[in-house]
Amino acid sequence: MSVFEKIQNLDRRIIFVTVALAVILPLFFPLKLPVDITAPVQQLYDVIEDLPEGSVVLISIDYDPSGAPELDPATWSVMRHCFSRNHKIFVMGLWATGVPLGMRALETVGAGEYNKEYGIDYVDFGYIPGGAIALVNLGRDVHDVCREDVYGTAVDEIPMMKSIKSADAFGLVLSMSMGVPGSDQWILYYHARYRGNLATAQTAIGAPKYYQYLQTGQLVGLIGGMKGAAEYERLVNKYGLATIGMDSQSIAHLLIIAFIVLGNVIYWMEKRRKN
Amino acid sequence: MTSGVWVWIAGALTLAIYSFLYKDNPFYKVAEYIFVGLSAGYWAVYLFWNFAYPNLFQPLFSEGNYWNIIPLALGFMMFTQLSRRSAWLVRFPLTFVLGVSLGLQLIAAVEGDVVPQLAGTFEPFSRGALFNTYDFWTSIGYIVLLVGVLSTLVYFFFSREHKGVFGGIARTGVFYLMIAFGASFGYTVMARVSLLFGRVHFIFHDWLHIIR
Repeated sequence: MSVFEKIQNLDRRIIFVTVALAVILPLFFPLKLPVDITAPVQQLYDVIEDLPEGSVVLISIDYDPSGAPELDPATWSVMRHCFSRNHKIFVMGLWATGVPLGMRALETVGAGEYNKEYGIDYVDFGYIPGGAIALVNLGRDVHDVCREDVYGTAVDEIPMMKSIKSADAFGLVLSMSMGVPGSDQWILYYHARYRGNLATAQTAIGAPKYYQYLQTGQLVGLIGGMKGAAEYERLVNKYGLATIGMDSQSIAHLLIIAFIVLGNVIYWMEKRRKN
Repeated sequence: MTSGVWVWIAGALTLAIYSFLYKDNPFYKVAEYIFVGLSAGYWAVYLFWNFAYPNLFQPLFSEGNYWNIIPLALGFMMFTQLSRRSAWLVRFPLTFVLGVSLGLQLIAAVEGDVVPQLAGTFEPFSRGALFNTYDFWTSIGYIVLLVGVLSTLVYFFFSREHKGVFGGIARTGVFYLMIAFGASFGYTVMARVSLLFGRVHFIFHDWLHIIR
């Protein structure tokens, strides 16, 4: 058996181990590779910077724990940015399993890091069922869709909600999304009717689709995957999980590129040998 | 202490799931069945108390909103297909769902996708904006975009054989498609590595406390 044939018939578990090592080793030996800021992330940062102080930012937690490694760092970074600018944060979600993630982020960042007060500076309405239909109604009448917050308090008893009646109240809507319902529904059902600033943070697998909406102005910003989250962490100068993960990402990508090149080279050489 | 126990359970289940990469085994099976069972139970309870109860049962039985009898009846009709004799009744809720979905999606697709995307593609070419309003490289980008849109559309036009000039344009479309697939693949790799990183970080940071 030639070397080429041996490599072609390589036990795939060896590849699994090398990929695992590529992800694990940078955790113990950080390389601190540079993270450049891309335009879509910078645009979102600039929109939040330019909002008047006290603006309301709606953050929709449209992901579940499987999307947390990519979207939690983005959510936390955006919350840090908003609270540092004294904006108010309105949290809701189209995914039932995202509720604890939103609560944890608000408690850690809002109450923990910035001493913000619930009901005054931020509010959490948890899971809003209904997907697209809920969004159509949300823009028209927020109180009709969000009747109780995540703790069971009636919307009329929450001080922050007195000035939030319809889509006009939101300076920015940000969908942290990993699927359906998510950013698609926000763009097609909410933004198409009520306009305003809409941005999204996506898991990497969904990000390419949303660049077209940036070009048309339907989105004012886009955080794509862990890389985008790492960029935002750099912008707010608070390094977290995404920045740590980018070393692993880079090494794993280099390894996979090497595998692709190697696989193709061996394929062509084998083909040539047989001919 | 309680959260510590859950971290250990989560860590053990993570390893059980990844053990499948070596080969199928009982640990993986147990973790898989736990996941499927928990998900089904969680969703059933969560959707009842967060969707059906506050939107249907509470307004109907506690607040006397008798209009909710209509969705309740439509909901029950979905189960009529379990019997052959009453299966025809399922057409009513399905027709309702299809009608609402079609009405909503038609408007959304036109207002949110077709019109803005067409405008975004062709607007830079109107009123001499190219190379005037937009800088050189942005203008080149818009030309590349327009060529990509048109050639990809030509590729998907199957009523004429892809030969000659038409075939050449279609082949250009294929190049654009390949670049799009490549970008998607790259992002997919990033997403999968992120998932792996999330679990690895959990194991070494939250569970074993080996890294800070």
